[in-house]
Amino acid sequence: MSDKAIQLIDVNKYYGQFHALKNINLEVAEGERVVICGQSGSGKSTTIRCINRLERHNDGKIIVEGIELTDDIDALDEVRREVGMVFQRFNLFPHLTVLENCALPQIRARGTSRVNAEKMGLRQLDRMKIADQACKFADELSGGQQQRVAIARALCMEPRIMLFDEPTSALDPEMIGEVLECMVNLAEDGMTMICVTHEMGFARSVADRVVFMAAGRIIEQAPPTAFFENPQAEETQVFLKQIINH
Amino acid sequence: MTAVIAPPQIETTYLGWAKRRLFASPGDTVLTLIFGGAMIWFFQFLLDWAVVNATWAEGGKELCREVSGACWSVIGARGRLIFFGLYPYEEHWRSTFACLLIIATMVLSCVPWFWSMKRLPVLWLSGFGAFVVLMYGGIFGLKVVTTEQWGGLSLTVFIFCAVVVIGMPLAIGLALARRSKLPVVRLVAGSIIDLFRSLPLLTILFTAAVVVPLTVPDWAQGNKLGRVVVAFALFFACYQAEIIRAGMQAIPDGQEEAAAALGMKYGSRIFDILLPQAFRNSLPSTINQFVITFKETSIVTIIGFFEIMASANAAVGTGEWTAQYIEVYFFVGFVYFLFVFGLSRYGAYLERRARLSNVR
Ligand SMILES: Nc1ncnc2c1ncn2[C@@H]1O[C@H](COP(=O)(O)OP(=O)(O)OP(=O)(O)O)[C@@H](O)[C@H]1O
Ligand SMILES: [Mg+2]
Repeated sequence: MSDKAIQLIDVNKYYGQFHALKNINLEVAEGERVVICGQSGSGKSTTIRCINRLERHNDGKIIVEGIELTDDIDALDEVRREVGMVFQRFNLFPHLTVLENCALPQIRARGTSRVNAEKMGLRQLDRMKIADQACKFADELSGGQQQRVAIARALCMEPRIMLFDEPTSALDPEMIGEVLECMVNLAEDGMTMICVTHEMGFARSVADRVVFMAAGRIIEQAPPTAFFENPQAEETQVFLKQIINH
Repeated sequence: MTAVIAPPQIETTYLGWAKRRLFASPGDTVLTLIFGGAMIWFFQFLLDWAVVNATWAEGGKELCREVSGACWSVIGARGRLIFFGLYPYEEHWRSTFACLLIIATMVLSCVPWFWSMKRLPVLWLSGFGAFVVLMYGGIFGLKVVTTEQWGGLSLTVFIFCAVVVIGMPLAIGLALARRSKLPVVRLVAGSIIDLFRSLPLLTILFTAAVVVPLTVPDWAQGNKLGRVVVAFALFFACYQAEIIRAGMQAIPDGQEEAAAALGMKYGSRIFDILLPQAFRNSLPSTINQFVITFKETSIVTIIGFFEIMASANAAVGTGEWTAQYIEVYFFVGFVYFLFVFGLSRYGAYLERRARLSNVR
């Protein structure tokens, strides 16, 4: 076993003619927390969506927990077992209760018994401090609560890696804090995380490394202090100025 | 400009409601009086005819000359024919039980406990299976009654249920095929759907009943009722497939992505996540399609089946009761109404329920 959780080697991705990812090379160690930032359309989402193959890359290698992502279905299943994902728009299943949202994927994807699946569901909901809402439907919850349920649901599958795609961008400002707090707790428990976010406070305090992307390329990566105090590339400097001005 | 707008006055009494909705202006008042009067006259007339001046007494048609209203005696005399068609007299109880069984199945499927992609099909397959066993016989010491002898209400109910039971899975299959990633699959499903939707139902049923026996080898023909039901089910499936597809299109992509990211396989993504939501989205159109299909079963009369419309025709066609055709058609209309009204009320209830859980 290597201590590398994720490796992207010379990954290229096209949407039709559009070259969305250009020679992406990225390595993430076990337990490492990586924040990806960059302008809109720079390929952040595409990068992490390739890691659990919601998008297929066209070229290069992606290796997750030692398994290479190919058209092999079994390999894909194995990778998705190791990788949890949290989306900007929560994507809770609206026809199921909060607890069923957590239990059903375990039952279907792993054959867990309902009793155990619900036990695990309650445990993870409790970890996200939302167990008291277990019997409600998603649309009865606030955005912040929904996102915490989404995190709990992903954690129920006991992933070793968590991907976050702008988990707080769809939230009202007063709810961002509660979600970030849960993510910080998760980081402290040693979870390997890749997080696309514009929450620079979170990046500073939690990330081991910040990756900056522009136009489908990784322009710069550095530990947060170096990244924020002493950005090398011109694009990074421009981007950071914009972010700070807002 | 700060105009103060008074909050709208909402009357809660019946009198207030009537004043606001029926007599708000002189024009409204006139219309209300005209239509109100017409309605009162009409229902008075109906009541007089159907109840006050009517008779239920048993007896021959002579009795009918003596009453000015409806002569329901015809239902007593010809009811069995209307309900059972040519089904053997001493086996009528089987036909009755079969119909009650289906009605029980319909009522059970209104219970939310059954609303899962597993329980509902199981319920319907067993209800419908038991119906067929009762009607056809051949086991448990039941005499065989071939489908040529089926008739009346139970044939109508059979055609409707068979069309839905066969058509619904087909519709789901077609809808899924139409959104498949494989172009060939998509094209084939699309062509079938468009073809069947562009042909009149009657043409399709005629082809199945009359043309197929001329062109298809004997061993592949099946019986006539079977062919007609399958053709009807295909027709139903093509409309229902589009309804389901529309319901699926309303679901955000994120739903399937989230399920995939959680490691759920294709079948589970479809049956646990997408279809339940698609059905919820398309509930009004689905109920509508059921209602249309129930009424369209009467078309099979034309190709020689003895469903409830045909047996009603037969009931008044034999001479003795010719004058009582109004009563008979009225009665048959009422039977249709009971089914269709039940269906649409149930649909309205489901919709209200779905809406509630959306805003809850
Ligand atoms: N399904 C798609 N089809 C075609 N083009 C796409 C598709 N998804 C993304 N793109 C394009 O690829 C580029 C990268 O998109 P991506 O979603 O990765 O950007 P992003 O960095 O996540 O941006 P944002 O901050 O807006 O989420 C964009 O220019 C986008 O228009
Ligand atoms: Mg994005």
